[in-house]
Amino acid sequence: MIKSLKKSVNHIFLLGYLAIILFPFLFVLFSSVKSNNAEISSNPFGIPTTFVWDNYIKAWVNAKISTYFFNSLYISILASITTIAIAALASYAITRMRYRKMSTFLFQFILLGMLIPGNALILPIYGLVRKMNILDTHWALYIPYTAVAIPFSVIILAAFMRSIPSELEEAAVMDGLGPFGIFTRMILPLTIPAMVTVFIVNFLGNWNEFLLANYFISTDELRTLPVGMVGFRDAYNTNYAQMSAGIVYSVVPVMVIYAVLQEQIIDGLTAGSVKG
Amino acid sequence: MDKTLRKPLTYILFVLPALILFIAFFIYPIMDAIYYSFTSWNGISKNVKFIGIENYTTVMSDGEFWSSVKNNGYFILFSLFIQVPIIIIFSLLISNVKRLRGLYKTAVFMPSVMSTAVIGILWGFIYEPDIGLFNQILSVFGVEKIYWLSDKSWAMISILITNAWQWTGFYIVMVLAAILSIPKELDEAAMIDGATGVQRAIRITVPLIMPIISVVIMLSIAGAMKAADIVLVMTKGGPAGATDVMATFMLRNSITSFKYGFGNSIAVLIFVFTLVITALYQFLVARRVERIEY
Repeated sequence: MIKSLKKSVNHIFLLGYLAIILFPFLFVLFSSVKSNNAEISSNPFGIPTTFVWDNYIKAWVNAKISTYFFNSLYISILASITTIAIAALASYAITRMRYRKMSTFLFQFILLGMLIPGNALILPIYGLVRKMNILDTHWALYIPYTAVAIPFSVIILAAFMRSIPSELEEAAVMDGLGPFGIFTRMILPLTIPAMVTVFIVNFLGNWNEFLLANYFISTDELRTLPVGMVGFRDAYNTNYAQMSAGIVYSVVPVMVIYAVLQEQIIDGLTAGSVKG
Repeated sequence: MDKTLRKPLTYILFVLPALILFIAFFIYPIMDAIYYSFTSWNGISKNVKFIGIENYTTVMSDGEFWSSVKNNGYFILFSLFIQVPIIIIFSLLISNVKRLRGLYKTAVFMPSVMSTAVIGILWGFIYEPDIGLFNQILSVFGVEKIYWLSDKSWAMISILITNAWQWTGFYIVMVLAAILSIPKELDEAAMIDGATGVQRAIRITVPLIMPIISVVIMLSIAGAMKAADIVLVMTKGGPAGATDVMATFMLRNSITSFKYGFGNSIAVLIFVFTLVITALYQFLVARRVERIEY
Protein backbone atom coordinates (compact mmCIF):
# COMPACT_ATOMS: atom_id res chain seq x y z
CA MET A 1 0.00 0.00 0.00
CA ILE A 2 2.67 2.50 1.09
CA LYS A 3 4.93 1.22 -1.63
CA SER A 4 2.39 1.72 -4.38
CA LEU A 5 1.66 5.19 -2.99
CA LYS A 6 5.36 6.03 -3.28
CA LYS A 7 5.39 4.79 -6.85
CA SER A 8 2.47 7.00 -7.74
CA VAL A 9 4.25 10.03 -6.28
CA ASN A 10 7.11 9.22 -8.68
CA HIS A 11 4.67 8.98 -11.52
CA ILE A 12 3.06 12.31 -10.67
CA PHE A 13 6.41 14.10 -10.95
CA LEU A 14 7.32 12.24 -14.10
CA LEU A 15 3.97 12.92 -15.74
CA GLY A 16 4.48 16.57 -14.85
CA TYR A 17 7.79 16.56 -16.69
CA LEU A 18 6.13 14.75 -19.59
CA ALA A 19 3.46 17.47 -19.75
CA ILE A 20 6.13 20.20 -19.85
CA ILE A 21 7.78 18.46 -22.80
CA LEU A 22 4.63 17.64 -24.73
CA PHE A 23 2.47 20.68 -24.06
CA PRO A 24 4.38 23.10 -26.33
CA PHE A 25 3.93 20.64 -29.19
CA LEU A 26 0.21 20.30 -28.50
CA PHE A 27 -0.13 24.08 -28.27
CA VAL A 28 1.42 24.45 -31.73
CA LEU A 29 -0.61 21.57 -33.13
CA PHE A 30 -3.89 23.08 -31.93
CA SER A 31 -2.89 26.57 -33.03
CA SER A 32 -2.08 25.30 -36.50
CA VAL A 33 -5.73 24.53 -37.27
CA LYS A 34 -7.20 27.67 -35.77
CA SER A 35 -8.46 30.39 -38.05
CA ASN A 36 -6.47 33.37 -36.76
CA ASN A 37 -4.60 34.99 -33.88
CA ALA A 38 -7.86 36.05 -32.22
CA GLU A 39 -9.01 32.44 -31.95
CA ILE A 40 -5.64 31.39 -30.50
CA SER A 41 -5.83 34.10 -27.84
CA SER A 42 -9.47 33.53 -26.93
CA ASN A 43 -9.11 29.78 -26.64
CA PRO A 44 -5.41 29.02 -26.15
CA PHE A 45 -5.58 25.61 -24.47
CA GLY A 46 -8.62 24.07 -26.05
CA ILE A 47 -9.08 21.92 -29.08
CA PRO A 48 -10.20 24.22 -31.89
CA THR A 49 -13.91 24.35 -32.70
CA THR A 50 -13.45 24.26 -36.45
CA PHE A 51 -10.43 22.85 -38.21
CA VAL A 52 -8.82 25.24 -40.66
CA TRP A 53 -6.68 23.01 -42.89
CA ASP A 54 -6.06 25.96 -45.15
CA ASN A 55 -3.13 26.98 -42.91
CA TYR A 56 -1.25 23.89 -44.01
CA ILE A 57 -1.74 24.61 -47.69
CA LYS A 58 -0.73 28.25 -47.30
CA ALA A 59 2.29 27.42 -45.15
CA TRP A 60 3.46 24.80 -47.67
CA VAL A 61 3.37 27.38 -50.45
CA ASN A 62 4.53 30.47 -48.53
CA ALA A 63 7.27 28.75 -46.59
CA LYS A 64 8.53 26.83 -49.67
CA ILE A 65 8.71 23.78 -47.42
CA SER A 66 9.24 21.36 -50.30
CA THR A 67 12.32 23.22 -51.58
CA TYR A 68 13.97 23.61 -48.19
CA PHE A 69 13.08 20.07 -47.19
CA PHE A 70 14.67 18.58 -50.29
CA ASN A 71 17.80 20.74 -49.90
CA SER A 72 18.25 19.66 -46.28
CA LEU A 73 17.58 16.03 -47.09
CA TYR A 74 20.05 15.58 -49.92
CA ILE A 75 22.86 17.68 -48.39
CA SER A 76 22.52 15.85 -45.05
CA ILE A 77 22.51 12.40 -46.64
CA LEU A 78 25.36 13.06 -49.08
CA ALA A 79 27.57 14.69 -46.45
CA SER A 80 26.92 11.89 -43.92
CA ILE A 81 27.73 9.18 -46.46
CA THR A 82 30.90 10.93 -47.62
CA THR A 83 32.05 11.35 -44.03
CA ILE A 84 31.50 7.66 -43.34
CA ALA A 85 33.37 6.57 -46.48
CA ILE A 86 36.37 8.79 -45.69
CA ALA A 87 36.36 8.01 -41.97
CA ALA A 88 36.04 4.27 -42.59
CA LEU A 89 39.07 4.26 -44.90
CA ALA A 90 41.15 6.15 -42.35
CA SER A 91 39.93 4.06 -39.40
CA TYR A 92 40.78 0.87 -41.25
CA ALA A 93 44.31 2.02 -42.03
CA ILE A 94 44.82 3.26 -38.48
CA THR A 95 43.51 0.20 -36.67
CA ARG A 96 44.28 -2.73 -38.98
CA MET A 97 47.33 -1.93 -41.05
CA ARG A 98 50.76 -2.48 -39.56
CA TYR A 99 52.06 1.03 -38.97
CA ARG A 100 51.66 1.28 -35.22
CA LYS A 101 53.58 4.48 -34.43
CA MET A 102 52.27 6.43 -37.39
CA SER A 103 48.73 5.29 -36.63
CA THR A 104 48.88 6.24 -32.95
CA PHE A 105 50.12 9.66 -33.93
CA LEU A 106 47.44 10.17 -36.59
CA PHE A 107 44.68 9.04 -34.24
CA GLN A 108 45.78 11.45 -31.49
CA PHE A 109 46.09 14.20 -34.08
CA ILE A 110 42.53 13.72 -35.32
CA LEU A 111 41.34 13.48 -31.71
CA LEU A 112 42.53 17.07 -31.28
CA GLY A 113 39.55 18.04 -33.41
CA MET A 114 37.20 17.19 -30.57
CA LEU A 115 38.90 19.83 -28.42
CA ILE A 116 38.44 22.67 -30.87
CA PRO A 117 35.17 24.51 -30.21
CA GLY A 118 33.01 24.78 -33.32
CA ASN A 119 32.16 28.43 -32.73
CA ALA A 120 35.80 29.42 -33.03
CA LEU A 121 35.88 27.78 -36.48
CA ILE A 122 32.84 29.42 -38.12
CA LEU A 123 34.57 32.62 -39.12
CA PRO A 124 37.81 31.13 -40.50
CA ILE A 125 35.80 28.43 -42.32
CA TYR A 126 33.72 31.23 -43.82
CA GLY A 127 36.96 32.76 -45.06
CA LEU A 128 38.11 29.41 -46.44
CA VAL A 129 34.84 28.73 -48.22
CA ARG A 130 34.97 32.17 -49.79
CA LYS A 131 38.52 31.58 -50.98
CA MET A 132 37.34 28.34 -52.58
CA ASN A 133 34.72 30.43 -54.39
CA ILE A 134 31.84 28.19 -53.34
CA LEU A 135 30.03 30.64 -51.07
CA ASP A 136 26.27 30.60 -51.67
CA THR A 137 26.33 27.15 -53.28
CA HIS A 138 25.51 23.82 -51.69
CA TRP A 139 29.21 22.93 -51.78
CA ALA A 140 29.67 25.52 -49.02
CA LEU A 141 27.64 23.26 -46.72
CA TYR A 142 28.44 19.83 -48.14
CA ILE A 143 32.23 20.09 -47.76
CA PRO A 144 32.32 21.62 -44.23
CA TYR A 145 29.60 19.23 -42.99
CA THR A 146 31.61 16.29 -44.33
CA ALA A 147 34.85 17.55 -42.79
CA VAL A 148 33.58 18.66 -39.39
CA ALA A 149 32.09 15.21 -38.62
CA ILE A 150 35.34 13.33 -39.36
CA PRO A 151 36.94 13.29 -35.87
CA PHE A 152 33.82 11.92 -34.21
CA SER A 153 33.27 9.32 -36.96
CA VAL A 154 36.89 8.14 -36.84
CA ILE A 155 36.71 7.72 -33.05
CA ILE A 156 33.59 5.55 -33.19
CA LEU A 157 34.56 3.52 -36.27
CA ALA A 158 38.15 2.99 -35.11
CA ALA A 159 36.96 1.78 -31.69
CA PHE A 160 34.69 -0.71 -33.43
CA MET A 161 37.22 -1.93 -36.00
CA ARG A 162 39.86 -2.40 -33.31
CA SER A 163 37.62 -4.97 -31.64
CA ILE A 164 37.44 -7.22 -34.70
CA PRO A 165 39.61 -10.33 -34.05
CA SER A 166 42.69 -10.57 -36.27
CA GLU A 167 42.17 -14.29 -36.94
CA LEU A 168 39.57 -13.31 -39.52
CA GLU A 169 42.15 -11.27 -41.36
CA GLU A 170 44.68 -14.06 -41.31
CA ALA A 171 42.18 -16.31 -43.04
CA ALA A 172 41.53 -13.62 -45.62
CA VAL A 173 45.25 -13.17 -46.26
CA MET A 174 45.58 -16.94 -46.75
CA ASP A 175 42.86 -16.72 -49.36
CA GLY A 176 44.97 -14.14 -51.15
CA LEU A 177 43.07 -10.94 -50.39
CA GLY A 178 45.01 -7.66 -50.35
CA PRO A 179 44.40 -4.79 -47.92
CA PHE A 180 41.71 -3.28 -50.12
CA GLY A 181 39.93 -6.61 -50.49
CA ILE A 182 40.05 -7.19 -46.74
CA PHE A 183 38.58 -3.74 -46.22
CA THR A 184 35.68 -4.01 -48.65
CA ARG A 185 34.85 -7.72 -48.29
CA MET A 186 35.41 -8.23 -44.59
CA ILE A 187 35.91 -5.20 -42.36
CA LEU A 188 33.21 -3.01 -43.93
CA PRO A 189 30.37 -5.56 -43.67
CA LEU A 190 31.36 -6.27 -40.05
CA THR A 191 31.38 -2.56 -39.21
CA ILE A 192 27.83 -1.88 -40.42
CA PRO A 193 26.30 -1.51 -36.92
CA ALA A 194 28.82 1.20 -36.01
CA MET A 195 28.31 2.87 -39.38
CA VAL A 196 24.56 3.02 -38.79
CA THR A 197 25.19 4.82 -35.48
CA VAL A 198 27.63 7.23 -37.08
CA PHE A 199 25.25 7.87 -39.97
CA ILE A 200 22.34 8.70 -37.67
CA VAL A 201 24.37 11.07 -35.52
CA ASN A 202 25.91 12.85 -38.50
CA PHE A 203 22.63 13.01 -40.39
CA LEU A 204 20.79 14.60 -37.45
CA GLY A 205 23.68 17.01 -36.90
CA ASN A 206 23.62 18.13 -40.54
CA TRP A 207 19.84 18.18 -40.73
CA ASN A 208 19.61 20.51 -37.71
CA GLU A 209 22.68 22.64 -38.45
CA PHE A 210 21.86 26.34 -38.43
CA LEU A 211 24.90 28.63 -38.18
CA LEU A 212 26.83 27.68 -41.33
CA ALA A 213 23.62 27.32 -43.33
CA ASN A 214 22.53 30.77 -42.19
CA TYR A 215 25.74 32.61 -43.05
CA PHE A 216 27.04 30.67 -46.06
CA ILE A 217 23.85 30.60 -48.15
CA SER A 218 22.03 33.74 -49.18
CA THR A 219 19.95 32.59 -52.18
CA ASP A 220 16.49 31.70 -50.92
CA GLU A 221 16.06 28.60 -53.14
CA LEU A 222 19.27 27.09 -51.77
CA ARG A 223 18.38 27.39 -48.09
CA THR A 224 18.02 24.43 -45.77
CA LEU A 225 14.96 23.75 -43.63
CA PRO A 226 16.06 25.35 -40.31
CA VAL A 227 17.19 28.57 -42.00
CA GLY A 228 14.18 28.59 -44.30
CA MET A 229 11.84 28.22 -41.35
CA VAL A 230 13.46 31.16 -39.55
CA GLY A 231 13.08 33.23 -42.71
CA PHE A 232 9.43 32.19 -42.94
CA ARG A 233 8.90 33.18 -39.30
CA ASP A 234 10.45 36.59 -39.92
CA ALA A 235 8.25 37.16 -42.97
CA TYR A 236 4.93 35.93 -41.56
CA ASN A 237 5.40 36.55 -37.86
CA THR A 238 1.98 38.10 -37.44
CA ASN A 239 0.10 35.02 -38.61
CA TYR A 240 0.68 32.52 -35.85
CA ALA A 241 -1.77 29.92 -37.14
CA GLN A 242 0.10 29.62 -40.41
CA MET A 243 3.46 29.70 -38.63
CA SER A 244 2.34 26.83 -36.41
CA ALA A 245 1.51 24.79 -39.50
CA GLY A 246 5.04 25.49 -40.72
CA ILE A 247 6.48 24.29 -37.41
CA VAL A 248 4.42 21.10 -37.65
CA TYR A 249 5.83 20.41 -41.12
CA SER A 250 9.39 20.71 -39.90
CA VAL A 251 8.90 18.78 -36.66
CA VAL A 252 6.89 15.81 -37.92
CA PRO A 253 9.52 14.17 -40.18
CA VAL A 254 12.05 14.15 -37.34
CA MET A 255 9.44 12.75 -34.96
CA VAL A 256 8.62 9.94 -37.41
CA ILE A 257 12.29 9.02 -37.84
CA TYR A 258 12.73 9.20 -34.07
CA ALA A 259 9.71 6.96 -33.47
CA VAL A 260 11.11 4.30 -35.82
CA LEU A 261 14.79 4.46 -34.87
CA GLN A 262 14.66 5.69 -31.28
CA GLU A 263 16.90 2.98 -29.80
CA GLN A 264 19.66 3.62 -32.34
CA ILE A 265 19.25 7.39 -32.10
CA ILE A 266 19.43 7.48 -28.31
CA ASP A 267 22.40 5.09 -28.21
CA GLY A 268 24.20 6.90 -31.00
CA LEU A 269 23.77 10.41 -29.67
CA THR A 270 24.66 9.61 -26.07
CA ALA A 271 27.61 7.38 -27.02
CA GLY A 272 28.77 10.05 -29.44
CA SER A 273 28.79 12.76 -26.83
CA VAL A 274 30.55 10.69 -24.18
CA LYS A 275 33.29 9.46 -26.50
CA GLY A 276 33.61 12.94 -27.90
CA MET B 1 50.28 -11.38 -42.89
CA ASP B 2 52.38 -8.37 -41.92
CA LYS B 3 53.56 -8.07 -45.47
CA THR B 4 50.03 -7.86 -46.81
CA LEU B 5 49.08 -5.21 -44.29
CA ARG B 6 52.22 -3.13 -44.79
CA LYS B 7 51.64 -1.45 -48.11
CA PRO B 8 52.79 2.16 -47.71
CA LEU B 9 50.93 3.40 -50.79
CA THR B 10 47.61 1.89 -49.70
CA TYR B 11 48.10 3.25 -46.20
CA ILE B 12 48.72 6.76 -47.47
CA LEU B 13 45.78 6.62 -49.89
CA PHE B 14 43.48 5.45 -47.11
CA VAL B 15 44.37 8.10 -44.53
CA LEU B 16 44.94 10.98 -46.93
CA PRO B 17 41.32 12.11 -47.60
CA ALA B 18 40.50 12.26 -43.88
CA LEU B 19 43.77 13.97 -43.10
CA ILE B 20 43.38 16.62 -45.81
CA LEU B 21 39.84 17.50 -44.74
CA PHE B 22 40.83 17.49 -41.08
CA ILE B 23 43.75 19.84 -41.62
CA ALA B 24 41.74 22.06 -43.97
CA PHE B 25 38.76 22.46 -41.64
CA PHE B 26 40.30 22.25 -38.15
CA ILE B 27 44.02 23.06 -38.10
CA TYR B 28 44.20 25.57 -40.93
CA PRO B 29 41.18 27.62 -39.73
CA ILE B 30 42.67 28.01 -36.25
CA MET B 31 46.01 29.14 -37.73
CA ASP B 32 44.13 31.41 -40.11
CA ALA B 33 42.12 32.95 -37.26
CA ILE B 34 45.27 33.58 -35.22
CA TYR B 35 46.98 35.17 -38.23
CA TYR B 36 44.12 37.51 -39.18
CA SER B 37 43.44 38.41 -35.55
CA PHE B 38 46.61 40.52 -35.72
CA THR B 39 45.42 42.41 -38.80
CA SER B 40 42.83 45.04 -39.57
CA TRP B 41 41.65 43.15 -42.68
CA ASN B 42 38.07 43.93 -43.69
CA GLY B 43 37.64 40.61 -45.47
CA ILE B 44 37.61 42.00 -49.01
CA SER B 45 40.48 44.33 -49.86
CA LYS B 46 43.81 43.10 -51.19
CA ASN B 47 46.08 44.68 -48.60
CA VAL B 48 46.23 43.08 -45.18
CA LYS B 49 47.68 45.41 -42.57
CA PHE B 50 49.31 44.15 -39.39
CA ILE B 51 48.25 46.03 -36.32
CA GLY B 52 49.74 43.85 -33.58
CA ILE B 53 47.48 43.19 -30.64
CA GLU B 54 45.23 46.17 -31.27
CA ASN B 55 42.19 43.96 -32.01
CA TYR B 56 42.64 42.22 -28.69
CA THR B 57 42.96 45.44 -26.71
CA THR B 58 39.86 46.81 -28.47
CA VAL B 59 37.84 43.69 -27.65
CA MET B 60 39.07 43.51 -24.09
CA SER B 61 38.02 47.08 -23.41
CA ASP B 62 34.61 46.60 -25.05
CA GLY B 63 31.85 46.40 -22.45
CA GLU B 64 29.53 44.60 -24.90
CA PHE B 65 32.10 41.84 -25.33
CA TRP B 66 32.32 41.27 -21.58
CA SER B 67 28.56 41.24 -21.28
CA SER B 68 28.51 38.49 -23.93
CA VAL B 69 31.13 36.57 -21.94
CA LYS B 70 28.92 37.00 -18.88
CA ASN B 71 25.98 35.52 -20.78
CA ASN B 72 28.06 32.45 -21.67
CA GLY B 73 28.74 32.31 -17.93
CA TYR B 74 25.00 32.36 -17.23
CA PHE B 75 24.58 29.40 -19.56
CA ILE B 76 27.18 27.51 -17.52
CA LEU B 77 25.77 28.53 -14.11
CA PHE B 78 22.22 27.71 -15.16
CA SER B 79 23.20 24.22 -16.24
CA LEU B 80 25.32 23.60 -13.14
CA PHE B 81 22.88 24.77 -10.50
CA ILE B 82 19.48 24.21 -12.11
CA GLN B 83 19.82 21.59 -14.82
CA VAL B 84 22.20 19.18 -13.08
CA PRO B 85 19.99 18.78 -9.94
CA ILE B 86 16.93 18.28 -12.16
CA ILE B 87 18.84 15.73 -14.23
CA ILE B 88 19.83 13.75 -11.12
CA ILE B 89 16.37 13.84 -9.55
CA PHE B 90 14.49 12.84 -12.68
CA SER B 91 16.88 10.10 -13.70
CA LEU B 92 16.49 8.66 -10.18
CA LEU B 93 12.71 8.92 -10.47
CA ILE B 94 12.64 7.15 -13.84
CA SER B 95 14.98 4.41 -12.62
CA ASN B 96 12.61 3.80 -9.71
CA VAL B 97 9.55 3.01 -11.80
CA LYS B 98 9.01 0.06 -14.09
CA ARG B 99 5.75 0.95 -15.72
CA LEU B 100 5.91 3.63 -18.44
CA ARG B 101 9.71 3.80 -18.18
CA GLY B 102 10.08 3.46 -21.94
CA LEU B 103 7.57 6.23 -22.55
CA TYR B 104 9.29 8.62 -20.14
CA LYS B 105 12.67 7.94 -21.68
CA THR B 106 11.40 8.44 -25.24
CA ALA B 107 9.46 11.62 -24.49
CA VAL B 108 12.13 13.22 -22.35
CA PHE B 109 14.79 12.67 -25.00
CA MET B 110 12.68 13.87 -27.92
CA PRO B 111 13.47 17.62 -27.89
CA SER B 112 17.19 16.95 -28.25
CA VAL B 113 16.79 15.34 -31.68
CA MET B 114 15.04 18.43 -33.01
CA SER B 115 16.57 21.42 -34.70
CA THR B 116 17.43 24.21 -32.28
CA ALA B 117 16.21 26.71 -34.88
CA VAL B 118 12.72 25.21 -34.98
CA ILE B 119 12.61 24.93 -31.20
CA GLY B 120 13.60 28.60 -31.02
CA ILE B 121 10.69 29.48 -33.32
CA LEU B 122 8.29 27.30 -31.34
CA TRP B 123 9.31 28.89 -28.03
CA GLY B 124 9.23 32.34 -29.56
CA PHE B 125 5.53 31.66 -30.09
CA ILE B 126 5.12 30.45 -26.50
CA TYR B 127 6.77 33.65 -25.24
CA GLU B 128 4.70 35.87 -27.55
CA PRO B 129 3.32 38.67 -25.31
CA ASP B 130 -0.26 38.83 -26.63
CA ILE B 131 -1.29 35.29 -27.54
CA GLY B 132 1.65 33.18 -26.32
CA LEU B 133 1.15 30.31 -23.91
CA PHE B 134 3.02 31.79 -20.93
CA ASN B 135 1.19 35.07 -20.72
CA GLN B 136 -2.12 33.27 -21.27
CA ILE B 137 -1.41 31.01 -18.30
CA LEU B 138 -0.16 33.90 -16.15
CA SER B 139 -3.16 36.07 -16.99
CA VAL B 140 -5.35 33.42 -15.34
CA PHE B 141 -3.54 34.32 -12.10
CA GLY B 142 -3.86 38.01 -12.81
CA VAL B 143 -0.18 38.55 -13.66
CA GLU B 144 0.41 41.44 -16.01
CA LYS B 145 1.74 40.96 -19.49
CA ILE B 146 5.47 40.16 -19.60
CA TYR B 147 7.50 40.91 -22.73
CA TRP B 148 9.63 37.80 -22.37
CA LEU B 149 12.01 38.24 -25.26
CA SER B 150 12.00 42.02 -25.64
CA ASP B 151 12.37 42.95 -21.97
CA LYS B 152 16.02 43.19 -20.94
CA SER B 153 15.44 41.62 -17.55
CA TRP B 154 13.56 38.58 -18.93
CA ALA B 155 15.19 37.84 -22.29
CA MET B 156 18.22 35.93 -21.02
CA ILE B 157 16.31 33.76 -18.57
CA SER B 158 13.75 32.99 -21.30
CA ILE B 159 16.50 31.69 -23.56
CA LEU B 160 18.04 29.67 -20.72
CA ILE B 161 14.69 28.03 -20.02
CA THR B 162 14.24 27.07 -23.67
CA ASN B 163 17.78 25.73 -23.81
CA ALA B 164 17.19 23.68 -20.66
CA TRP B 165 13.89 22.40 -22.07
CA GLN B 166 15.72 21.11 -25.12
CA TRP B 167 18.75 19.49 -23.49
CA THR B 168 17.85 18.34 -19.96
CA GLY B 169 16.21 15.15 -21.25
CA PHE B 170 19.30 14.20 -23.20
CA TYR B 171 21.38 14.15 -20.03
CA ILE B 172 18.62 12.44 -18.03
CA VAL B 173 18.79 9.51 -20.45
CA MET B 174 22.58 9.39 -20.13
CA VAL B 175 22.49 9.36 -16.33
CA LEU B 176 19.60 6.89 -16.37
CA ALA B 177 21.70 4.43 -18.37
CA ALA B 178 24.44 4.72 -15.75
CA ILE B 179 21.99 4.13 -12.89
CA LEU B 180 20.50 1.08 -14.58
CA SER B 181 23.94 -0.44 -15.05
CA ILE B 182 24.63 -0.47 -11.28
CA PRO B 183 24.36 -4.06 -10.02
CA LYS B 184 21.05 -4.67 -8.25
CA GLU B 185 22.81 -6.39 -5.30
CA LEU B 186 24.13 -3.10 -3.93
CA ASP B 187 20.68 -1.62 -3.68
CA GLU B 188 19.19 -4.83 -2.30
CA ALA B 189 21.87 -5.11 0.39
CA ALA B 190 21.10 -1.58 1.55
CA MET B 191 17.40 -2.35 1.52
CA ILE B 192 17.95 -5.37 3.78
CA ASP B 193 19.92 -3.12 6.14
CA GLY B 194 16.80 -1.00 6.36
CA ALA B 195 17.79 2.01 4.28
CA THR B 196 14.85 4.01 2.92
CA GLY B 197 14.47 4.89 -0.74
CA VAL B 198 15.82 8.40 -0.28
CA GLN B 199 18.77 7.16 1.79
CA ARG B 200 19.62 4.57 -0.85
CA ALA B 201 19.47 7.18 -3.58
CA ILE B 202 21.75 9.62 -1.73
CA ARG B 203 24.18 7.14 -0.15
CA ILE B 204 24.42 4.46 -2.83
CA THR B 205 23.23 5.54 -6.24
CA VAL B 206 24.46 9.13 -6.42
CA PRO B 207 28.04 8.35 -5.32
CA LEU B 208 28.16 5.52 -7.85
CA ILE B 209 27.07 7.75 -10.72
CA MET B 210 29.47 10.60 -9.90
CA PRO B 211 31.70 9.79 -12.92
CA ILE B 212 28.81 10.18 -15.37
CA ILE B 213 27.62 13.33 -13.60
CA SER B 214 31.10 14.71 -14.04
CA VAL B 215 30.82 13.93 -17.75
CA VAL B 216 27.41 15.62 -17.87
CA ILE B 217 28.87 18.77 -16.27
CA MET B 218 31.75 18.71 -18.73
CA LEU B 219 29.34 18.39 -21.65
CA SER B 220 27.08 21.17 -20.34
CA ILE B 221 30.05 23.49 -20.09
CA ALA B 222 31.04 22.63 -23.65
CA GLY B 223 27.40 23.10 -24.69
CA ALA B 224 27.25 26.48 -22.96
CA MET B 225 30.27 27.67 -24.92
CA LYS B 226 28.64 26.42 -28.14
CA ALA B 227 25.30 28.16 -27.62
CA ALA B 228 24.68 30.57 -30.47
CA ASP B 229 21.95 29.32 -32.79
CA ILE B 230 19.27 29.49 -30.08
CA VAL B 231 20.19 33.11 -29.32
CA LEU B 232 20.25 34.08 -33.00
CA VAL B 233 16.85 32.54 -33.65
CA MET B 234 15.08 33.83 -30.55
CA THR B 235 16.47 37.35 -30.00
CA LYS B 236 19.36 37.91 -32.45
CA GLY B 237 21.33 38.94 -29.35
CA GLY B 238 18.87 41.69 -28.45
CA PRO B 239 17.33 43.63 -26.86
CA ALA B 240 20.36 45.92 -27.14
CA GLY B 241 22.88 43.09 -26.79
CA ALA B 242 21.31 41.81 -23.57
CA THR B 243 21.38 38.18 -24.75
CA ASP B 244 24.56 38.23 -26.84
CA VAL B 245 26.93 35.34 -26.30
CA MET B 246 30.53 35.39 -27.50
CA ALA B 247 29.72 33.63 -30.78
CA THR B 248 26.82 35.93 -31.72
CA PHE B 249 28.89 38.97 -30.75
CA MET B 250 31.63 37.67 -33.03
CA LEU B 251 29.29 37.04 -35.97
CA ARG B 252 27.71 40.48 -35.68
CA ASN B 253 31.13 42.12 -35.55
CA SER B 254 32.67 40.30 -38.49
CA ILE B 255 30.82 38.94 -41.51
CA THR B 256 28.00 41.48 -41.56
CA SER B 257 30.09 44.51 -40.58
CA PHE B 258 33.27 43.83 -42.59
CA LYS B 259 35.61 43.55 -39.63
CA TYR B 260 37.16 40.20 -40.48
CA GLY B 261 40.39 40.72 -38.55
CA PHE B 262 38.56 41.96 -35.48
CA GLY B 263 36.08 39.06 -35.62
CA ASN B 264 38.94 36.57 -35.77
CA SER B 265 40.42 37.92 -32.57
CA ILE B 266 37.10 37.02 -30.89
CA ALA B 267 37.24 33.56 -32.51
CA VAL B 268 40.68 33.06 -30.96
CA LEU B 269 39.36 34.23 -27.58
CA ILE B 270 36.45 31.74 -27.79
CA PHE B 271 39.02 29.02 -28.48
CA VAL B 272 41.24 30.09 -25.56
CA PHE B 273 38.37 30.55 -23.06
CA THR B 274 36.91 27.16 -23.91
CA LEU B 275 40.27 25.44 -23.49
CA VAL B 276 40.96 27.22 -20.19
CA ILE B 277 37.57 26.36 -18.70
CA THR B 278 37.83 22.75 -19.85
CA ALA B 279 41.35 22.43 -18.48
CA LEU B 280 40.42 24.06 -15.18
CA TYR B 281 37.48 21.71 -14.74
CA GLN B 282 39.61 18.68 -15.58
CA PHE B 283 42.30 19.67 -13.08
CA LEU B 284 40.11 20.88 -10.24
CA VAL B 285 37.17 18.52 -10.36
CA ALA B 286 37.27 15.66 -12.84
CA ARG B 287 40.56 14.25 -11.58
CA ARG B 288 39.14 13.80 -8.11
CA VAL B 289 36.25 11.72 -9.32
CA GLU B 290 37.60 8.20 -9.15
CA ARG B 291 36.80 5.55 -11.65
CA ILE B 292 34.38 3.09 -10.12
CA GLU B 293 34.66 -0.63 -10.71
CA TYR B 294 32.07 -3.04 -9.48
